[in-house]
Amino acid sequence: MKKIFLILSSIAILTACQHKADEVVVYTSVDQIFSEPILQDFEKETGIKVKAVFDTEETKSTGVLNRLIAEKNYPQADVFWSGDPVRTIVLKNKGISTVYHSPQAADIPAVFKDPEGYWTGFSARARVLIYNKKRLKPEQVPQSIFDLTKPAYKGQVAIANPLFGTTTFHIAALFSALGDQKAKEFMSGLKHNQVVIATSNGDVKDRVSKGQLACGLTDTDDAFEAMKENPDVGMVFLDQNGTQPLGTLIMPNTLCLIKNSPNNKNGKKLIDFLLQKSTEAKLAKLCAQMPLHKSVPTPKGIPSLDDIIPMTINYDQTAQTLENIQNYLKEWIGN
Amino acid sequence: MDRQLKILAYFVFVLLVLLIALPVIYTYSLVIFQDSHFTENIQNIDFQSIKLLFKSILWSGLVAGLSTLIGGLLGFLLYKTPLKYKTFYKLILLMPLILSPYIWAVAWQDFFYVTFDNNLWVSSVAGIIWVQTLIYTPLAILIIGNALSNVDKSLEEAALTISSPKNTILKISLPLVKPAFWTAFILIFIFSLSEFSVPALFSVKVFTTEIFTNFSAFYNYNLAIIQSTLLVVISLWLLWTESHFISKAPFLSVGNRGNTGYLFRFKKQRIYIKALLIFWVFLSVIVPFLMLSLQALKSGYQTVFQAFKILQPAFIDSFIWAATGSIIAIVVALIFSYFSWHHKRQEHRLIRWTNLILLTTFGLPAMVYGISLIYFYNRPVLGWIYSSVVILIIGFVGKYGFIALKMLQNTTRQIPFSLDEAAQLTGASTFKRFKTIYLPLMTPAILAVFILNFILMSNDLAIPIMTFPPGTQPVSVKVFTMMANASQSLTSAMIFVFFTVTLSAVSLLYLILKNLLISKNVYR
Repeated sequence: MKKIFLILSSIAILTACQHKADEVVVYTSVDQIFSEPILQDFEKETGIKVKAVFDTEETKSTGVLNRLIAEKNYPQADVFWSGDPVRTIVLKNKGISTVYHSPQAADIPAVFKDPEGYWTGFSARARVLIYNKKRLKPEQVPQSIFDLTKPAYKGQVAIANPLFGTTTFHIAALFSALGDQKAKEFMSGLKHNQVVIATSNGDVKDRVSKGQLACGLTDTDDAFEAMKENPDVGMVFLDQNGTQPLGTLIMPNTLCLIKNSPNNKNGKKLIDFLLQKSTEAKLAKLCAQMPLHKSVPTPKGIPSLDDIIPMTINYDQTAQTLENIQNYLKEWIGN
Repeated sequence: MDRQLKILAYFVFVLLVLLIALPVIYTYSLVIFQDSHFTENIQNIDFQSIKLLFKSILWSGLVAGLSTLIGGLLGFLLYKTPLKYKTFYKLILLMPLILSPYIWAVAWQDFFYVTFDNNLWVSSVAGIIWVQTLIYTPLAILIIGNALSNVDKSLEEAALTISSPKNTILKISLPLVKPAFWTAFILIFIFSLSEFSVPALFSVKVFTTEIFTNFSAFYNYNLAIIQSTLLVVISLWLLWTESHFISKAPFLSVGNRGNTGYLFRFKKQRIYIKALLIFWVFLSVIVPFLMLSLQALKSGYQTVFQAFKILQPAFIDSFIWAATGSIIAIVVALIFSYFSWHHKRQEHRLIRWTNLILLTTFGLPAMVYGISLIYFYNRPVLGWIYSSVVILIIGFVGKYGFIALKMLQNTTRQIPFSLDEAAQLTGASTFKRFKTIYLPLMTPAILAVFILNFILMSNDLAIPIMTFPPGTQPVSVKVFTMMANASQSLTSAMIFVFFTVTLSAVSLLYLILKNLLISKNVYR
């Protein structure tokens, strides 16, 4: 019995010693090709080893979130870096994240921060329409999201599966902004118009870029990537005109600190680093993300938030709406 | 029964229970006893879900049936006829297993678009059956072909003296490998039923996408786990039918294996055999691979070098993990197979329970199994497992151990136990009999299982994505995480590099092991 106790104690001590003071564990749903260089910069600047878990397109970027939820009782991660606000709000609601007010976030607009400090937004993407110039002439390009229900675009529009990722949030934002009835009418219109449901935003990008479909809704990073690769791809910020335009959905990256995480102090350092203006400048350069800090230098062609009419939403409330409409969306997709 | 062997088998069984079965049992106990929504979740499995499950069973049955038939035919041609460049065909036909089904599906979608300006046909149930049949046929080739090569030559020669080759094949060779056909069918059926990436890409709803949605969109693990139970029940039912209708069949008693199998020489049909093999290589490998290569090389060789630079650090580790997982699975399977051989093929409860455990973890969707591993191992006292690659290896053995066990058990059934009895009379110890009689006769099967498990573990995505420790990254996961927003050419280049390097590693391993294990084996 004594021997067993000794073995178990040794294992427990070994386990307790595992988390070194000079490391930080980050789980991220931001594409590895963009997030990895930034994390490497943090390592170089601070000497703190970053252990990252990245996520994949095939699992709808839910691998890390499911791990975080399953690890709730004994967290392994210190920081979660999400590509959108939905997942950090899920963590807040499940009691997995904790409050942290980073000094670096002082001048980020309040709308992009959780009032209680559970998450903080930075570098944003927008939901846009990409189109194939070979399939649509300039005058044929839709300018409003409601145009997508018009017969002219029957079977020609793609959206990613609305149960996952930023597309869910986009639809939830429409429900928040338009109200249930109008939003459901719009969704029925899309369905009636034989909208193509792609597996992901990347899949939307590929199908439009290859000319398989005329246009599709996706995020700005996918859109810029598509335009870089293929000059026949164009991009539009929808609903920018008219007297009371609906506006475009803006989705910031979000950061949260994990409750009872093993390297809490280093986690805060990483959050502070990621919320710096210099990180936003890098993300603007790497993947055309729009800085939320004022006066961040951006490459030519990257839109500024000042030039876009944003959709007016409350992120927390939209996340709640999202939960309410999930069953409806599941039925909407159907068989 | 030898006492030492019995102790070893029970010891390994206890390890299997503790390391592989307990996480699943623990998770189910949480779902049943700690979830206040248990009854509600049970009620959520409505008529629509059951209908979807039956549809999925039908489609997976078709995939498994077609793959087993085609694989059986190709396996026969590769293993039972004197064909030139056999090794080349055997390796190239394994290629569809190297990449994720999702990538092959994308390649086929592109092929139909480029060729016919329309990919509607492939984005359908027919497309799923088409792509999955092409992907899983190599499994059947390997399992059935390997069993065919073990058929006792003297039986076929005796039959040929009084009957035609056709009759000999239909009445002697094929019935003798009936268990291999059934094993191939079961494995492919379960693979197809639990695969969700191809149906998701083709926008076809199947039962596994329903589970995935509950898991990943609704975060309702408990409902996902309850739904997964139905898949496990189906898998167990298949195992039960096998043990009742196939394993006890008298025709399984194969003769002495002390020589190479008989080769049927079809002189007139040789041209058709070659044409058929080349056609299948073209269909299952060249067409999709060409699509991937063309896209990879569109931006020049520079992109391929860039892709190699990105993936290169992850290759060695991933191959070591896959090889370790594969070796452990083989060791476990060998111990139980030898145990059952020692038991004169009588169903022992230890073998039944081992089959049950490994089939359950094989039949569970990988995400659910991954969650079970997290729930169980993520605690301070087991942190040394959870935060190291040990968790990944446990995941691999749990997920693919059944394949090793099934294939080695089948081969064991083909070895007459009179060989062991004769050696026993000479006073040879269990270990000596294992080393000098059993192991040499098993080496071709061990090689086949190693290669198959190595491929499956190297390209597996679902188990690693849930379990790889922070700071490490299996190459399969890296390909997918990098391709999320990389350019089309870089994505294709990464797939191209992953494919080429894995194929080279598999070919190298195959040739080295074949030389080490089989060429020096006096029995072959």
